[in-house]
Amino acid sequence: MTDLKFIGQNMRRKDGPDKVSGKAVYTQDVKLPGMLIGRVLRSPHPHARILRIDTSKAKALPGVKAVITHEDTIGVRHGFVETPRYPADQDVLAKDKVAHVGEEIAAVAAVDEITAQKALELIEVEYEILPAVFDAEEAMRPGAPAVRASHPKVLENLANIAGKTETEWGDVEAGFAQADYVREDRFENQLRTHGYLEPQVTLAHWESDKLNVWTSSMGTFIKRAKLSRTLGLPYSQVRIHKTYVGGTFGGKIDLYSHEYCAARLSMLTGRPVRITASREEIFSAYRHSQTLTIELKTGVKKDGTILAQRVRIINNAGAHRGSGVVVIFLAWGFIMGPYRIPNLKYEGYAVYTNHTTRAPQRGHGAPKVRFAIESQLDMIAEHLGIDPVTIRLRNARGPWEELPNKDNTHEAGLIDCIKEVAAKSDYLNKWRQGRKQPEPSSTIRRGIGMGVTTYMSGTLIYPNGSGVIVKLNDDGSVIVLTGALDVGQGAETVITQIVAEELSIGMNDIKLIASDTDTTPQDIGAWISGMTYVTGNATRQAATNAREKILKVASEEMDVPVEYLGVENKSVYNVLDPQQRMTYAQVFSASVAKHRGDTIVGEGFWRTMRDEPTHPSLATTKGRWTENYAFSAQVAEVEVDIETGEAKLIRAYTLHDCGFPVNPGLIKGQVDGQVSMALGQAFMEEVMTKNGYTLNPSWLDYRMPLIHNMAASEDAEVITEQYRIGKPYRTKEVGEGLVSGVLAGIANAIYDATGVRMTSAPFTPEKILAGLRKLEREKAKELVSQ
Amino acid sequence: MLDSPNNTVVTAKARPKPRLVTLAINGETHEVMVRPHVMLLEVIRDHVGLTGTKDGCESGTCGACTVLLEGKPILACITLAVECDGMHVQTIEGLSENGKLSDLQEAFLDQAATQCGFCTPGVIMSAKALLDNNPKPSVPQIKKALEGNLCRCTGYNSIVDAILQYSGQGVEPLMKRDDAP
Repeated sequence: MTDLKFIGQNMRRKDGPDKVSGKAVYTQDVKLPGMLIGRVLRSPHPHARILRIDTSKAKALPGVKAVITHEDTIGVRHGFVETPRYPADQDVLAKDKVAHVGEEIAAVAAVDEITAQKALELIEVEYEILPAVFDAEEAMRPGAPAVRASHPKVLENLANIAGKTETEWGDVEAGFAQADYVREDRFENQLRTHGYLEPQVTLAHWESDKLNVWTSSMGTFIKRAKLSRTLGLPYSQVRIHKTYVGGTFGGKIDLYSHEYCAARLSMLTGRPVRITASREEIFSAYRHSQTLTIELKTGVKKDGTILAQRVRIINNAGAHRGSGVVVIFLAWGFIMGPYRIPNLKYEGYAVYTNHTTRAPQRGHGAPKVRFAIESQLDMIAEHLGIDPVTIRLRNARGPWEELPNKDNTHEAGLIDCIKEVAAKSDYLNKWRQGRKQPEPSSTIRRGIGMGVTTYMSGTLIYPNGSGVIVKLNDDGSVIVLTGALDVGQGAETVITQIVAEELSIGMNDIKLIASDTDTTPQDIGAWISGMTYVTGNATRQAATNAREKILKVASEEMDVPVEYLGVENKSVYNVLDPQQRMTYAQVFSASVAKHRGDTIVGEGFWRTMRDEPTHPSLATTKGRWTENYAFSAQVAEVEVDIETGEAKLIRAYTLHDCGFPVNPGLIKGQVDGQVSMALGQAFMEEVMTKNGYTLNPSWLDYRMPLIHNMAASEDAEVITEQYRIGKPYRTKEVGEGLVSGVLAGIANAIYDATGVRMTSAPFTPEKILAGLRKLEREKAKELVSQ
Repeated sequence: MLDSPNNTVVTAKARPKPRLVTLAINGETHEVMVRPHVMLLEVIRDHVGLTGTKDGCESGTCGACTVLLEGKPILACITLAVECDGMHVQTIEGLSENGKLSDLQEAFLDQAATQCGFCTPGVIMSAKALLDNNPKPSVPQIKKALEGNLCRCTGYNSIVDAILQYSGQGVEPLMKRDDAP
């Protein structure tokens, strides 16, 4: 395995030709004869009791084939988390009350879009308006309007608590007492949408007692599970078909009401039903990111060593629990991962409000947490007269450290990442120069900033494990069956590379059948940053298993011991006499002839943390989280126009320890995409709301990075050589964690350029100008007082 | 088709008058009957069945539906089909010939300039319109030509590289083609 032909190579995308030629089939491209169009009736109020629903006029409208409300469901609730502590709290269609604008109340299926829309308008709903609450801290106060019952196990006198994560180690007060310097800061973050280009869309067809579903998702097996349960069908009666997916970024996991409605309407009508969400619906009623408010108190020694940290996070979770109780758990992990914190006290609250329900979003809290911690660390460093690189190196975790939850950092490359990114960006020579020596007569100030992060690579959450099947064809080519879903990250390419490497067979000789719940093995899905690691290792096992069978048959036929056999170009050869060889096609025939019809099928499976029974406690953080931490350090260079307050990212440097890079070219794409997402989060993007209504439900008013905003991006892996030696499958996460360091780096770079400290995202011209004005006033005051 | 209240079929007379529109799509003539409000995107995707052109926002904000009308890039989701009568339309399906990808498409593969791929057909059509008139565009010209195409996956860097590679401006392929071992 020292001479790798496919692994570690920039192989072109397996799905590329279909995607550049318009052949790739997405859910919106699937059309069935007799298809009906479904639409969803949504709440016009942020909080209201439903007194009466009358669908009779809608049902009577010609062309309307079915109308459903909560009464047509079996009443089974769902949620991102469904545990005894956090039972599902989401109805597929609202029962008794609605708790956010756009909450789903009813759905119709009709012969065309206009009729469906008319039918919605004919549904009569009588509401009793309830008082609503939108600010998380207001919602927590006793006596606030009750969105939902506060969690019974959180005993503080607080309202609307969806859940709480609490953990501590060491003695945080003693740590602060020993500290030479202690500071407290508060950081806030905006509501941001995922911005997937393909809208939410589902086609369902109930046929011969089987529900067939095509839906734009992040994992077909999790969708099957949630649909089966809410519909009251056995899993085997639901089949989710493969389609390509036009972007997700966290926003298409879990169950969405429209998916249930399309399925239920098809079951009632016996006809295919498609529901597509309009872009306005997605902006106004669908799930966006979690907004975290972070209170951070840190005590350090004179040399910058962190002694103690107390963190309190409040998450405005919206109208349902959603992933709101997961993000407050994950936030703890993103805090404790990169730096040693001998004493820590952490509290995270997920708070119900009358906003739309929330979803994970690329990084699931990490960008916000790292923005806070990395900003404060720079403030501390400045106070102590230490540079940003030194203070990070002083606290960074090294390899083989055991973490407080018994996880291990393994070959953590964080220290190398920090050193190398500093060198590559010439950090210390650029730092503090932009403000000191501005171009005369220019209003542009340059700044540089750093951020580091860690991210999990797979954890335990349903479906927990991935299986892969590799089967040989009688012409010597291969078919791979995998449940993995390519949402753009390159899953199909990486899986193909691994099989190609193990079997020494061209990538064009490998065909993939993917992400179909009936025909492929179960898979973890494209949403916990574990696909290359978990499904990748399952693939390696399956290919290895097939190779072993091939070699066994070849060994018998060639009368050469297995250990003297090698594989090359769809053939087995004798290492001592390379002329003696058999093609895979010949091996296949021999196997069928002499092994009672064995057609050579390789099986593989993988589960992260195989000895852990279940995921860690979301409430206490006890239990292992991941066996595989990716680390990174990133640097942002910005330009700020001090006249307009406008800042932009010029260049980003990313150094990451992603394990062994299976496809560096695809990794570069992941890095560039995350840099772009970070700069959107930093400068441009915010879903503006007023009383729960979205004020900018369109890409004209919600500004997402355009090609004009693109920044130069350089990336490199660390410790690759170490991973190369016999460990080419020591893969780690690289698709989510890298938003964080850039966002934090931008905040620090704006400070470096201007002296204005950003404590709330986005970093708008208004905020930067206000900061500059404040600095001017302070300077003037100083002059006067002298 | 709408059913009427008394269960008879509503005739065309009672509704906005449909028109016969002739389009030359990728060199093939298509005649479609459309009502006046129908957009070109619906004709291409639903009537003609070419689903390579994507439907991302239906409001002219994302560029996923970009096609060439008489050689010029337009947003098919906000272009009325009746206004295109007698015109040439080029879609992503028209770029490859007999299953062989064009060099521009190959350049997108060489630079890994497609990820989820949903914006890709629109991006490639915008790029083609630029390159047809300007074989060696500068980076600012590339940015100008693609400013209407949103891409959430790539950060645009690889897209610019693909266009630079295709136009022979010193960018080498990043990705390798499959060579059997």
